[in-house]
This record gives sequence, structure tokens and C-alpha cells, in this order.
Amino acid sequence: MTPENPNPLPSIIPEKDWKKIQRMLSKRSLWMVHFCTGCGAMEMPPTMTSRYDMERFGIIPMATPRQADLLLVTGYVAVKTLKRIVRVYEQMQDPKYVIAFGSCPINGGIYWDSYNTIKRLDKYIPVDMYIAGCMPRPEAIMDAFLKLMKDIDEGRADGWLRYKKYYEKYKANQRRVFKRWDE
Amino acid sequence: MNAVGIFKELGIEYEEMKVKGNKDPRYRAKVDPEKLEDIILKFKNNGFRHFVALSCVDWIKEGNMELIYHLFSYDNLEDVFLSIYLPRDQPKYKSLRHLFPQIETYEREIHEMFGVEFEGNDRLGEFILEDWEDMPPMRKDFDTEKYAKEKYGSVPLVEEGGEKE
Repeated sequence: MTPENPNPLPSIIPEKDWKKIQRMLSKRSLWMVHFCTGCGAMEMPPTMTSRYDMERFGIIPMATPRQADLLLVTGYVAVKTLKRIVRVYEQMQDPKYVIAFGSCPINGGIYWDSYNTIKRLDKYIPVDMYIAGCMPRPEAIMDAFLKLMKDIDEGRADGWLRYKKYYEKYKANQRRVFKRWDE
Repeated sequence: MNAVGIFKELGIEYEEMKVKGNKDPRYRAKVDPEKLEDIILKFKNNGFRHFVALSCVDWIKEGNMELIYHLFSYDNLEDVFLSIYLPRDQPKYKSLRHLFPQIETYEREIHEMFGVEFEGNDRLGEFILEDWEDMPPMRKDFDTEKYAKEKYGSVPLVEEGGEKE
């Protein structure tokens, strides 16, 4: 999948080990894009601030998607919101990770029969980690962050690669729920 | 002038409503759609300067759409609900946004959610919903569960697995 590197590294470190080092470094500096949907955003302030303090794991909120590598979908996803989520997700640079938060992105939650919310988020964008619950407490969020860091370290958080591989399929699914991109 | 005085002067039948835990007087009246504009103007000139909301009820069995104009007076702390009934199959009414500008937004919402046409409001169009092609979703004959199952349940899963780094 990854193209041939035009400027290969000196052969002191083999390519495979170098990737391992990259993963080890990137898991300790997750920047989270400040994009809040639904009610779960309410759990983020205590997670960010001194009570739970996610910064001790190297996770900080970041205002722009281009500088971030972690996207939290914090609650129900309306069709209108999904369009924005896809836009934000596509603006983020590789490698990028998605955490879906609460029951609603898993199966719709209490909006299971709503005409305007999508039911499963991973039909439209790849999701690396789900946190179940309504609402998940900050402890659960911290747990998910640690598990995601472990997944990144072991190379299992590969949602961004799946998005590249099945890009056409994801796009086709997205086009089934919204028609236009111009607004 | 309080609400009872205005109702008596205009000769409108009204009923008093009781709400648990709220002692402020509130009145409800069914009025003629032709006369509604003058009645709202009369209330507006007599202290009912706050237009609270415009809501819509779909009475599917009676075949009616009810529009409820909700006014409030800060002088007497009184609520007044003025309701009109429109035929359900072709609900059409004139826009009253010249009386209170905020009515425009309510009319846009009711147009989108219930399909009521407001003549004279040129901003009716796509408002909250995006890319909506079905019937207005707040109508009682819209089956939201069936719609959700058909639209979102039919989207296929993208293949699991994928490449490893």
C-alpha cells in the first residue's frame, strides 16, 4: 500500500523497526480535533481539565483538523452532522484515528427509529474504538485512550488504511444518505 | 386590558386552562382564520407584545391541521393561545411575519416539518433537514420507523479487516 520511499533511511535501522518507532512516538502525541457532536461533548471538559487531565498521556485538544490525528464523535450523528464529520475526517492527515463515543454511533441508541440520524457510524467512516454507554464517564474515555494507544503501538488501529482501501465503498455509502456536497 | 376583556370586546368564545404548578392565567380560543390577523393585532396593541411560539398539531382523524399562535403579556402575566384549523390535505395560510418578525422562522419550520404553505413568506425552503425527499416528517402518516429501517438499515457494511501496516 505505502509507496516506495525515494529517500531511504540509512540501513542502520531496518524499515520494519523504524515503523515501530514511528508508532511508538505517534501514540504519545495524539492531538484531538475539537469537534463536538451531540451530548457527549459534555464529558470532555472534565477529561481535559485537572480532574482527569488527559494531557498527561500527551492528548491535547486542537482547533484545526489539519493538525489533529484523533477525531472523537461524541454522540448521535444526524445526517447533517455526518456531512461535516466526513469533511473534517478527510481534512485530517494520516495517520488518523476515530473514537465513537456513547451508544448512538453504535446502533442509534435512543434515536434507533429517528428519521434523521444514522445508526451505525462505521458504515460511513472507519472507527478504531467504540466506547459504549450513555454517557460514558471520563474514566471510560481515559480507558479508551489507553486502549487506542496500545492498538496504535501494536499496529491494529488501521482505520485510515481501511478508508483508503475501501474508499469507493465508503463514498457509495455516504452518497446513499446525503446527495449534495455544495452546502 | 387583560385577556378576558379583549375576548369579551371581540366576542370570542374562550376557555380557561389549568396547569399544575403554574397559577398564571392562560386562555385558549378557537378563532376564524379570516379574522386571526386583526385579533393578533388587537392583542399586540393591548400589552401582548411577546410572541412566544407558533406550533402545529396534526389531527389526522379529524382531517385538520391546527396552528396555534401563542402570545404572552408581561403586564398581566397572561398566556393566550389562538388556534386556527386548516384542511389537512391542502394546508394553506397567509404569512403573518409583518406582525412579529420571529413568525417567519416558525413558518419555515412548520412548512418543512408539516408541509403547511404560508403565502407571502418568500423564505420557505430547505431549513433544518438536508437532502430531504420524502413527505414532511412530522406528519402523523409518516412512518418514521419504516423510513429509518429502509434508509439506514439498507446501507451495507464495508468489508472488515483491511491491510496491516
